[in-house]
Amino acid sequence: MKDRISALMDGELDDKAAAQMIETLARDREALETWGIYHLISDALRETRRLSDGFTARVAAQLAQEPTVLAPNARLPNRQRQPRRWYALAASVAAVALVGWLGFAPQETAVAPVARAPVVSQPAAEVKPAVVPALIPLPSGTNDYLLAHQGFSPRVSLQGMAPYVRTVSEQLQEPRK
Amino acid sequence: MTLRVFGALLALAAGVAQAQSPETLSWLRKINEATQRLSYTGTFVYQNGGRTETSRITRYVDASGDIEKLEVMDGVPREIVRTKDTVRCYLPDSRVVKVDRRTERGFPALVPERISALARHYDISLGETRRIAGFDCQAVVLTPKDNLRYGYKLYADVNSGMLLRAVTVDAGGQNVEQFTFTQLAIGNVTRDMVRPRHAVRAWRVEDAEAAPARLAGWGLASELPGFHKITELKRRLGESRPVGQMVYSDGLAAVSVFIEPLEGRRDPVRTGLASMGAIHIYTREVANHMVTVVGEAPAVSVQRIADAVEFRRPQ
Repeated sequence: MKDRISALMDGELDDKAAAQMIETLARDREALETWGIYHLISDALRETRRLSDGFTARVAAQLAQEPTVLAPNARLPNRQRQPRRWYALAASVAAVALVGWLGFAPQETAVAPVARAPVVSQPAAEVKPAVVPALIPLPSGTNDYLLAHQGFSPRVSLQGMAPYVRTVSEQLQEPRK
Repeated sequence: MTLRVFGALLALAAGVAQAQSPETLSWLRKINEATQRLSYTGTFVYQNGGRTETSRITRYVDASGDIEKLEVMDGVPREIVRTKDTVRCYLPDSRVVKVDRRTERGFPALVPERISALARHYDISLGETRRIAGFDCQAVVLTPKDNLRYGYKLYADVNSGMLLRAVTVDAGGQNVEQFTFTQLAIGNVTRDMVRPRHAVRAWRVEDAEAAPARLAGWGLASELPGFHKITELKRRLGESRPVGQMVYSDGLAAVSVFIEPLEGRRDPVRTGLASMGAIHIYTREVANHMVTVVGEAPAVSVQRIADAVEFRRPQ
């Protein structure tokens, strides 16, 4: 179950599996809590800015007032990364429950203003490559390259074997639907 | 806000010009020494490009050297055990063990003179103190002086120097990679705790057979500022492919150049840039060889090194 929740978060489920998972989330309180916790972990790791108190409730209230649009969107066939759309849908399903959930989440009061300042992109004096490269999926055998590379990274002398985790997630090499 | 501005703000806020002070550099040394000296066991979370994985790491030190074991707890099971001169990667699902021996000088160490050399490419300063997994930690902030490398925030235990968190930051100030211990116990590690879990009698062994070599004719038309060649070798990748490998490093980040003959290759080479969080991989063809450049450096650096790879027929 936890694997599938995590896969849904990462947009790795196909449409059918994602729909099933979202139904499960709507039904299964424990699964929904896991979903919430995973997001909290993910936010904490990324040091995402905390939302203001009551943000979820305000969004939910505004959504309730919005007129329902019945015209369906045209479905784009075979768009890459399409499963990610489920993520948004699942998020809105979870939003209502999150209102309650955030209620007992520990609230951080001291926020370092510098660290949390919004990132403004600035055209720094950048060194640009001559040609913009084609973006391709990770090559087959990426793990072998990474394993061969890792031992030479000076990072090893600061944190031991830890950088070797970079070598290995075989799932990364599965083609995304 | 660029990292540089961020760094400048930090320095201003502190009211002291701490960059490159002996104290700052001694923190890096302290982290380095802790990594060599301590036995520990702990759980850390690795985050890269939106992916999160939990792993367990154990390090055992005694007079005969040290052994380190890494077990990835999420996804496909993997276990990596490093002894003094060998890394073994156990993949129980496919019943494969990948073996990588070091014949030359073992693993690269961040020796004191190299730590001082880091200051040429990074502004190094002390950041905030923060509690991580129960340890009071000091942040050491490395801000790159150009956009050919990432910035780093290293949080080390004030008492032992053990690195509890390492964050890699891109030029936009975004975290691209992070290692964080969620639990750590220093000391009390036994030899048994670092033994591989798997009996590998019927497993396939993929030995890299790495050996120092001069890759005659191969090199970079121009080196990337700060990145120098640290080694050059021949090895095998995967089941049998023989490849050449050249490694370039600025003292903290490393970029490997892999060179494989195209001859006898079934699939066409797919050229271009692939990325996975802080890691970039750039593939191109040079002189009837496939060149794959892999490194934990910004895309621009990996691509520039790749574009500089050339073959000149040895005279």
